[in-house]
Amino acid sequence: MSAAANTDQIPSETRPVDTAPNPDGVAGMAFPPQFTAEFVEASRALEQEWRANFDAVSRKFGVNPGDYERHTDSGLPVKPAYFPHDVAGQGYETLSAPGMFPFTRGLHPVQYQFMHWANQPVIGYGLPEETRKRMDYLQSQGMTGYFGNTFYNLVYDLVSHEGVDPDHPAAEGRVGQCGMAVYSREDDARLFDGLQLDRINVVHISYYEVLPVLAHYLAYARRRGVPWGRLGGNSMSWYYQSAYVGMTCFPPKAGMNLAVELVNFCTREMPRWNTVNIFGYGMEESGATAVEELAFSVATGIDYARACVASGLHPDQFLSRFGFQISQSNDFFEEICKIRALRRLWARKCQALGARDPKSMHVRIHTHTSGAMLTAQQPINNLIRTTLHAFGAALAGVQAMEVSTFDEALAIPTEHAHTLALRVQQIIQEESGITRVSDPLGGSYYVESLTNQLEAAAERIIEEVEARGGYHQCHDFVRTRIEASAARWRDLADAKERILVGMNKYQAAETQAIDIFKVNPDSERIAVERIRALRARRDTGRWGKAMSVLDDAARRFTAGEIGVLMPAMIEASDADATTGELMGVLKLHLGWAPPY
Amino acid sequence: MGADMIRVLLCKTTMECHDRGVRYLATKLRDAGLEVIFMNFLEPREIIDTAIEEDVDVIGVSSSVEGHLPVAREVTRRLAELEKENVLVVFGGVIPERDIALLRETGVREVFGPGSSAAAIIEFIRANARVRSFKLESEP
Repeated sequence: MSAAANTDQIPSETRPVDTAPNPDGVAGMAFPPQFTAEFVEASRALEQEWRANFDAVSRKFGVNPGDYERHTDSGLPVKPAYFPHDVAGQGYETLSAPGMFPFTRGLHPVQYQFMHWANQPVIGYGLPEETRKRMDYLQSQGMTGYFGNTFYNLVYDLVSHEGVDPDHPAAEGRVGQCGMAVYSREDDARLFDGLQLDRINVVHISYYEVLPVLAHYLAYARRRGVPWGRLGGNSMSWYYQSAYVGMTCFPPKAGMNLAVELVNFCTREMPRWNTVNIFGYGMEESGATAVEELAFSVATGIDYARACVASGLHPDQFLSRFGFQISQSNDFFEEICKIRALRRLWARKCQALGARDPKSMHVRIHTHTSGAMLTAQQPINNLIRTTLHAFGAALAGVQAMEVSTFDEALAIPTEHAHTLALRVQQIIQEESGITRVSDPLGGSYYVESLTNQLEAAAERIIEEVEARGGYHQCHDFVRTRIEASAARWRDLADAKERILVGMNKYQAAETQAIDIFKVNPDSERIAVERIRALRARRDTGRWGKAMSVLDDAARRFTAGEIGVLMPAMIEASDADATTGELMGVLKLHLGWAPPY
Repeated sequence: MGADMIRVLLCKTTMECHDRGVRYLATKLRDAGLEVIFMNFLEPREIIDTAIEEDVDVIGVSSSVEGHLPVAREVTRRLAELEKENVLVVFGGVIPERDIALLRETGVREVFGPGSSAAAIIEFIRANARVRSFKLESEP
């Protein structure tokens, strides 16, 4: 999970040249209409003729042509066939070329011709050493980022997300579950020792413990002698997801301020670091439609960017370090068009925010293939689903990918399942031939029409969010919409109007005939022993002083000061403060409660 | 006329984001005329505190990410201590099949895995929850 498609890793001599110095148009060009008026008229006449034939067949199937209608999974109406006149009104400058504003067809002049998208499977379970074993294994199986470098997409465990330490009473049974048991700078050493930190890209998948886990990584890197400016990777800054999931959280404004603090710190200290990840994936997993994912992702980005501008930054200083993590779900074409619409919509919004550098307008997309559409029933079927999802993402032209494993609906992936998910990417990359051509679906009357529909539908929701004062002011609105969509989806599934093979159709009497991964039962005990040993061993005086400085910094941060919190947190981590302790300070000052 | 007043406490640990299912279920139970109290818990004892305070007939715990066994053990142990074994405890979510028997041993009555329909859950609750009928004063 991440938007770590870190194009800044590409050496400048080979970095794709962005050829849109003037983002207001394609080098100022205004394109003539795509088709002559005469051609459009002929196209319309042709559609009428075809439609009469279609309607005749429709009647044979007992369907009154007047009643025939089909919709995408988001509810957008689609015709049974598309014609040139469906896109005739569209100025070609809205499509432009790969690497040119508004980037509908891709961010760069090249897509996958010289380099594939980055393989970024999510990894994380048990002790740091156990996670490291899986990292090394997948690397040995060909998991590849840009220029042969390895990207590690690492997820922290539930205990870390809650901001407690593993010996907290609530942690029982959850240590090293759904992520790795990493709670200190010392644990980072167990995870990363031996890896060349400036040659890898590390995504830290954390929820609200973003600053503490990055503090551990930076304190660790400093001790290894690696300058922060040479570190590549991602922090997620997913504070806004408290609108659509029920985990305990910081209040919306406080969360946004934490992101602003991080953006300011990284702008100053580590320009290669990706600071904010717009987590559309989480929205669609929670039930949002493709249109809602698109709209709420852009609305979040606008809101966070505005807060950064208010802190004194220029959009071109930080926007290129915003990334997107987008879901690729079941409706094949709608999901592809969602990504094309997202690129165009975001570029325009960033331009409106005052961005001038094309890189600031890029939607660098890490695809996470849908987990919510995978079934516990007949789990091997999920391999087929994820292949379709990944194939769609590749056709849409994304920068990085996590393909869900076929045992997603059952447990943390086994090594076998993890490897197969990587093979899905590799087979598409190396065997299908689709990497030869950028935006291979561009120009399809259907794809361009649907891209326009998605953009327009999302724009309407964005306007509604903006009218409510921006995303962080209307979490209730976001939650209500997403919950309603989740309920609608499930009702349709129950009514068999949404088919999930093996779940509501073609069921088979079966038991789970696959191996299920289980975290080593000793991990929890060892993690608890380690954190206790760390607290007993550390220099209490130094730790106490650092915690008191952090407490003061958090007080000043709460009062509106930017720039003191992150440095204080790194020093506290260096003095062996744990994630639970660092989060404790933030919770005390900012508030910590369920979102509703 | 008596009205069935089944009170259900639905809960999920605060630590995880996989709450799409349980929130959907809360809506469906409410639509079916059950009283639903929904909570996020950090420690299992909070479930019992709320269950007692709200005098519920059913406790439904959703779990998608392991950690369900310690919760089930604590919840059923405390219910027994309080002599509240007549409160129906059900689990749902992503529960490995090998854990279903272990959950039942603690006193969990049913486990609803991925794909379970809300209708099946409602039917089970209606068939197994203690039923308390209330007569309104004004009714004959």
